[in-house]
Amino acid sequence: MTPPTTATEARPELVTRDAQAPRGPEWVTRVRSADHKTVALIYIAASLSLLVMALVQFTLMRVQLIVPDSTIIEPEIFARILSASGVTFAVLFAVPLALGVIGYIVPLQIGARGVALPRLNQLSAWLYIAGAVVLYVSFVYTPGQGGILGLPPLSETAFNPDKGMDNWIIGVLLTTAGFVCFAINLIVTMRNMRAPGLAWRRMPLFSWAAAVIGWVILVVGPALIAALAMLTIDRHFDGVFFDAAEGGAPLLYEHLVYFFMSGVYAVVVLFAAGVVSEILPTMARKPIFSHRAVAGSLVAIGALVPLAWMQNMYSAPIDLGFTIGTMFVALALVVPIGILVYVWIATLWGGAIRTRTPLFYAAAAFSTIVFGLTGELAYSVIPVGWQLANTTMSQGDTLYVLIGGAVIGGFGALHYWLPKMTGRALGEGVANFALLGMLVGLHIHVLCMAFAGLEGQPVDIFKYPADTGLSTLNLIASIGAFVFVVSAFVELGNIAHGYRHGRLVGHDPWGGTTLEWFALSPPPPHNFDAVPDVRSAEPLLDIRASVRRSTDGATARVS
Amino acid sequence: MIIIAVVLVVVINLGLIAALLRFRERRGRAPARYTAGRGAIGRIGVVLGVVAAAIFVFGVIQTDSARTVADSGPNGLTAEASRTAQVGVKGVPSLDEVAAEQEALSQEPAGGSAVVIPEEGDPLQISAIAQQWVWRFEYPGGVPGQRTFSYGRLVVPVDTAVVVNITSTDVIHSWWVPALTGQVQAVPGTVARTWFKADEEGTYTGQGTVFNGTSFPAMTIQVEVVDSATYQDHVETLGDDLREAQETVKEESATAQSGGSGEEGAP
Repeated sequence: MTPPTTATEARPELVTRDAQAPRGPEWVTRVRSADHKTVALIYIAASLSLLVMALVQFTLMRVQLIVPDSTIIEPEIFARILSASGVTFAVLFAVPLALGVIGYIVPLQIGARGVALPRLNQLSAWLYIAGAVVLYVSFVYTPGQGGILGLPPLSETAFNPDKGMDNWIIGVLLTTAGFVCFAINLIVTMRNMRAPGLAWRRMPLFSWAAAVIGWVILVVGPALIAALAMLTIDRHFDGVFFDAAEGGAPLLYEHLVYFFMSGVYAVVVLFAAGVVSEILPTMARKPIFSHRAVAGSLVAIGALVPLAWMQNMYSAPIDLGFTIGTMFVALALVVPIGILVYVWIATLWGGAIRTRTPLFYAAAAFSTIVFGLTGELAYSVIPVGWQLANTTMSQGDTLYVLIGGAVIGGFGALHYWLPKMTGRALGEGVANFALLGMLVGLHIHVLCMAFAGLEGQPVDIFKYPADTGLSTLNLIASIGAFVFVVSAFVELGNIAHGYRHGRLVGHDPWGGTTLEWFALSPPPPHNFDAVPDVRSAEPLLDIRASVRRSTDGATARVS
Repeated sequence: MIIIAVVLVVVINLGLIAALLRFRERRGRAPARYTAGRGAIGRIGVVLGVVAAAIFVFGVIQTDSARTVADSGPNGLTAEASRTAQVGVKGVPSLDEVAAEQEALSQEPAGGSAVVIPEEGDPLQISAIAQQWVWRFEYPGGVPGQRTFSYGRLVVPVDTAVVVNITSTDVIHSWWVPALTGQVQAVPGTVARTWFKADEEGTYTGQGTVFNGTSFPAMTIQVEVVDSATYQDHVETLGDDLREAQETVKEESATAQSGGSGEEGAP
């Protein structure tokens, strides 16, 4: 068999001789490309656009709640915004941003020249975008009003006859199918395409987190797809899956959707943990305190968080044995999370910390997630959950984790890795300022809403009465939310500007120790001209040492 | 639990800030490569596991005590303190027993007028049925469907254990009166249960926590706690009013049928 002489973008590792230059305008090339880097950039760009949507929706809902008995937004409109906002933030922004960074960086970190199933990878991105488009097309006519999770019977035709509810269901279904395709490609790539010598014990921790994320999505994604398919059958094909009068079980959907949402929560926490575990050692110029402990904790978090899905359902009519088992699983999470916290602080301890923007974002993500996770620790005790679940207090802790992990952690990842994607660094002064604004705004918002939750303010309301003492708290919380949103927009603008016009910084601006910094910035289609043998968890240190030896100290510093 | 959480947050964040401030990059300082303390990870894991297990045991005990229905107090609505004890209810029935009781009651002729007084120490059984966007409360006694009921406002006697049997007729709702009980989801096709015993008279308000449609915040709960004599008067009046209203409606419809039969064309 003659070897192929034409490299395809899907298989850049085969042959690069006689490669045909792509033809047509740039955007056509990008849309057609199956290169994992192009696909990942599509993921990142789309997810940041949807972050804009989520921030606008958040602002509108906070505007509504500034004053008691507010009539600024009609109740129906509020219900539509609310129903879109949850999936926009969690499913259309947080997870895709994590997948985008993973899709770009992980093949580089494991020394692969591509991914195992590039067309599946490409399909996943376009399924995701198709899902987002399907959901938002409904804003032209009547969006769904099924609430954040679309719980039946409320999302059945009897209570939500509008076509928009179908858009919501199909949109989320397509997006989730895209995530599952991505996870399959990620798992296959990581099992088969690692550089020689890159054993799992030497795998960079961000890649470890990515591997766990792949498995989590592969397990929880089909559960939501099944739930939404059943809901569609109920709505259009005379199904009775969730019709209690016909012997159906509305609780089944609640179980499945919370299983998926716990998976989303796990993905965000793992992504942020991976980013923090990469940035802290690099910036402290110290190896991670214990590679084995972090990898083990990541696996434990990935396994336990989805299993604790009933933590959100303590108030549902479930046998007590199940909820007590759930409390056990949720409390067991104390061990891996506590070990992660210890290892991260021990990694910083004794280092020579470069106080650059990625470090600030990583530390802020770490701190914010700790706020949220300790709150979750309290709510996982059943009587506390009975009182405080579904109040603005527990919602605040979810915001801490999702915003700390996906927004602050995601921005940190972009600050750290965009120089690899573009060769340009993002502005740091603006970014530090924006981070301060985001932290101040987020804490003001969440703390005020925590006190409001203790007073009895539930989530998802479009108004509250004037005589309940919630007015001041909601006013201050809204101001905090606006500070957060404005700062997030500033940082988004900074990213958009730095992507094209940032300062050129070369191939390895941070002195990283993992293989992605061995590639050029931006990497060529085949990633590496030569894939090095990996002999330790910090292959670039070995490469620099070997360069020093072979050049006899002539170029003492290669970094 | 919240205090533990706050302490944890403060300690961890102080540790993070201390590390960031103390080990900033300075001229002439190389990063330490030491790994002392790595052995402590295992011990920390064990300590964390013990802490988690302790919280778990505490949580199970608290859950159990929160679910156990207390006895009604001496000032509450019990057979001894009551003026007109007509029907007694014994103990907290299981859900099967409730179903069996309802089955038995439905065989009997309608008699929803009696004010049901639980036996000494036993709880008062109230049904709370959710629909978009109002709660229907049914007081004990009589055939289901012909019981004394009220919408939105529940009146209960003070110092009496009240068991609330919660269900829904349309979408998933949630019951929450923060001063009295935790949250319970009202899921169609299932009956969930919670209980409370109010020590002081007064009005307690609550609302749902699970989004149930456009008018979600309008669906409030008013629990009015009164002394047991007022409670009995209230339920009696409520029952009489309901019967009167039903008879009026029946008479009117009968008149309408006899008077309007010519227009409708059929007898």
